[in-house]
Amino acid sequence: MELRDINYNKSDYVETASGNKVCRQTVLCGSQNIVLQGKVIVQSEAIIRGDLANVKTGRFCIISKEAVLRPPYKKFSKGVAFFPLSMGDHVYVGERSVVNAAIVGNYVYIGKNCVIGRRCTLKDCCVIEDNTILAPETVVPPFARYGGSPGTQIGELPECQADLMVDFTKSYYQHFQPTKLI
Amino acid sequence: MSRNNIKILPGALVCEESKLRGDITIGSGTIVHPSATIIAEAGPIIIGECCLIEEQVKIIHRLPFDQQNKENTTPVLIIGSHNVFEVDCTVESPKIGNNNVFESKCYVGNKVTVSNGCIIGAGCRVTEEQILKENIIIFGSKCQMREGLDRPGLQTLQMETLSKMIPNYHHIKKPNKKV
Repeated sequence: MELRDINYNKSDYVETASGNKVCRQTVLCGSQNIVLQGKVIVQSEAIIRGDLANVKTGRFCIISKEAVLRPPYKKFSKGVAFFPLSMGDHVYVGERSVVNAAIVGNYVYIGKNCVIGRRCTLKDCCVIEDNTILAPETVVPPFARYGGSPGTQIGELPECQADLMVDFTKSYYQHFQPTKLI
Repeated sequence: MSRNNIKILPGALVCEESKLRGDITIGSGTIVHPSATIIAEAGPIIIGECCLIEEQVKIIHRLPFDQQNKENTTPVLIIGSHNVFEVDCTVESPKIGNNNVFESKCYVGNKVTVSNGCIIGAGCRVTEEQILKENIIIFGSKCQMREGLDRPGLQTLQMETLSKMIPNYHHIKKPNKKV
C-alpha cells in the first residue's frame, strides 16, 4: 500500500546537503555532538540531548514529534558517566517516545509513547509496540516483538522485516514533502 | 494571568529554555533541564534543594475542581529536597516530600499527596485521592503498589556530572536571590 503524502510547511524545516530534514521547533542540545548520517527526518518538538554525550543516527531514520533521544548514564564508584547513543539505519521512533538506549540496531521500529529504559540494547530488526515500557538494561533480541509494562516478548517477526523497514522508511522519506503552493 | 515571580537561589542551574510561569522559588543545587515546564497556577511553588527536573517534565500547581471556589486561601506547593523528576512526567500533587523519584511518563493527579522516598514507576498513572506512605513503590502496567525496603538512592553523583556539563552547553538563568 502506498503511503499518502505527509506535507509540511517548507519554512518550518531545514534541509541539509545530505538530505536531513530537521524541524526548526526542535530542541537540539549540543548540536556539535549530534551526527545525522543523511536522509533523517526530525519532526517538531523532538529533543536530542547531544550535550550529555554523542548521539549518532544512521541513514533514513525518522524521529517523530515530541520524541526524546537521551544518552544513558551509568553509575561508577567515582561518579556518573554518560554513554554515547548510537542508532542504526532505517529506524523509526514514534511520537512522544523516550529513548534512553545505548545501542539501537538497524531496521528497528519503536512505537508511540514508549519508554526505552537506561542502557537498553535493541538489536537489529525488532519492534517495540506502542506504550511499551522497557526496564533499564534490557536486551531486545533480533526479530522480536516487545510490548507491555515492563516490556516482554509477545511475538516474533518474519525474516523479511529488514526489507519491510527499508520500504517503510524510504517511502516515508519520499512522501515527506513540503506543501506545494498552488 | 498572574505575574511571573521567579526566585532562583544561588547554586541552582535553571536552563533558559525551561518554561516557568507564576510564583516559583527554586532551591540551591536544583537542576532544571531545558523544556521543563513548571506552572504555578493556584499559588506559589517552592522547590527544595538538589532536585533534578528533566526535560518535558510538567509540574503544575492546580487545585482539585471542588476546591477551586474557596478563594480565601492560597495554598503553597512545597516540593522537598532530592526529588528526581524524569523525562515527560506530569505531577500535579499538592504536596511532595523528600527523596521521591517520578519516572518517565508517570502521571500523579492533584489529589495525591506524596510523602518521602516514594517511587512512581514509568508510565504509571495515580489519580485516586490518597496519601502515599513512605517508601511506597508503584510499578507495572496495573500500577501495583508495594512498600520498598529501602529509600531510592540519591542522585548526587549524576547531579555533580550534570552541573559540570550543563553550563557548557546552555544559557543558565542567573540566581537572583541571596541567602
